[in-house]
Amino acid sequence: MSQAPIAVPSAGAAIRAIALNTFREAIRDRVLYLLLVFAVIVIGVSRLLSLLTVGSEEKIIKDVGLSAISLFGVLTAVFVGVSLVFKEIERRTVYTLLANPVRRWQFVTGKFVGLLVVLALNVVLMFLALAVVLWWHGDSAWPLFPAILLILVELTVVTAYALLFSSLTNPILAAVWTFAVYVSGHLAWSLPLLKLKLPEGPSRLLCEAIYWVVPHLDDLSIKSEVVHGLPLPPGQVGVAALYGISYAALVLALGCLVFERKDFL
Amino acid sequence: MRARRAVSALLVLACMATATVSGRKLESLAAGRDRSDRLLYLPNGRYLKLASLGQAPLLADLIYIWAIQFYSDYERKERFRYVRHVFGDVVTELDPHYIDAYWIGALILIVEAKDLEGGLALFEKGIAANPDSWILPYLAAWECALAGFPARAAQYFERAAAIDGAPTSVRRMRAAMFSRAGDLEASRAMWQEILADPGSDPTSRAIAERKMVEVSMQIELRDLRNAVARFRDDNGRPPRTLAELESRGYIARVPQGPDSTAYGYDPGTGEVHAPTARVLGGAQ
Repeated sequence: MSQAPIAVPSAGAAIRAIALNTFREAIRDRVLYLLLVFAVIVIGVSRLLSLLTVGSEEKIIKDVGLSAISLFGVLTAVFVGVSLVFKEIERRTVYTLLANPVRRWQFVTGKFVGLLVVLALNVVLMFLALAVVLWWHGDSAWPLFPAILLILVELTVVTAYALLFSSLTNPILAAVWTFAVYVSGHLAWSLPLLKLKLPEGPSRLLCEAIYWVVPHLDDLSIKSEVVHGLPLPPGQVGVAALYGISYAALVLALGCLVFERKDFL
Repeated sequence: MRARRAVSALLVLACMATATVSGRKLESLAAGRDRSDRLLYLPNGRYLKLASLGQAPLLADLIYIWAIQFYSDYERKERFRYVRHVFGDVVTELDPHYIDAYWIGALILIVEAKDLEGGLALFEKGIAANPDSWILPYLAAWECALAGFPARAAQYFERAAAIDGAPTSVRRMRAAMFSRAGDLEASRAMWQEILADPGSDPTSRAIAERKMVEVSMQIELRDLRNAVARFRDDNGRPPRTLAELESRGYIARVPQGPDSTAYGYDPGTGEVHAPTARVLGGAQ
């Protein structure tokens, strides 16, 4: 008696299934409650400003809104991202999953895509809340859109790192490492200045190497430009998005490689 | 069980009471101290920017709002000691495009701290960081005008008017301020420029037309009075008529006032008058 062959899903179908599951899990973990906190902050700030500031309230509402979207996004990416793979290993659900015809890289990529969808939904909803508050003040949020796009790209990079570290170590260490990457990514621009102060030799080379390895997250921040309506160099948003996405893809590939070689026993 | 709850409740109440009393005591201890020296230790914005991890505009907003509250407290002594540092080195370093911060910082310096040069230095920093913004030189011009420096005000209006997007009203202010500063020829040329510009709005054109007449009369009056003074120095008496100035070569020709109304002249005193019914401002 011959056994029926096991249906092997395509890579896309496997990734989609895991991504959908990750998305549902994050929603069940009440990640979207953050939106409520965001809305309260933005509306509260907009009311408070009329009492405290002199000059343009809209400028401050935009700054607060963009920073809150960015910071809440990073917190979500780090704290949800670092436990994504680790939780599956700790609960041993990874054995069941990998017993199915799902490749390890598909598992990691699915987790990444699922969290990215959650983050994108978060960012879009927060942006809409900000747009409503600005509309109420007689201003438009649409000029902020390029900054929102690059915040999402920044979150893609942070998520990729969170997943990589989640495959390597426990959630606490992974969170610390991811934050370290986030901080050093925002300080990357100062490394060439530091290099100039260093003597010729290995320390300079190391400084140069670190500069090229860490993500240049500060280059993804155009908040000040969009809030003040300053012209951006042509193609800046596109090139920055391309840089961030390709960088995140590299880190994700590294994460997949680490997970491929991981021994669960 | 009940006793444990009662003890817990008592402990919570005791903590609340201690916190309230000690908090009040701290407030009363701090009340007599001027804490404005804390501002001195606010790091330069360039360093704060490093620590802000991409949130420098938000940090600038927070320090700006805090500074507004600090400088609005009229009971605080010596509160103007660090205005230049807070606005010039911190807020505007964190967000160099924060126009309100330059404006309010300069206003506090000029109006409250009576430091015109400090305020203008802040405006200059803002102008350098925002070369496309006409509002900063425009505001600096008004501060100079109010402080009684029309020539400096005229220069700032000139800079504001030269920036693309500056409304015609800025060009009008520039022309008026050059007149106030005594450069009547420059003022007339500026009014002429507004009048000749097809992009000028009807109100500006009407004002320019009126001002052209006024400034032209001011120039003619000034020239006539100078000629009379020179005549008096040379001859020991004023001229008998304005025509004598022309015949003796002190002026090329006797100017006609608006609508060909001649300038009034008193040969006894040597006073020259404008045809007053048509003169606006200080042209008499």
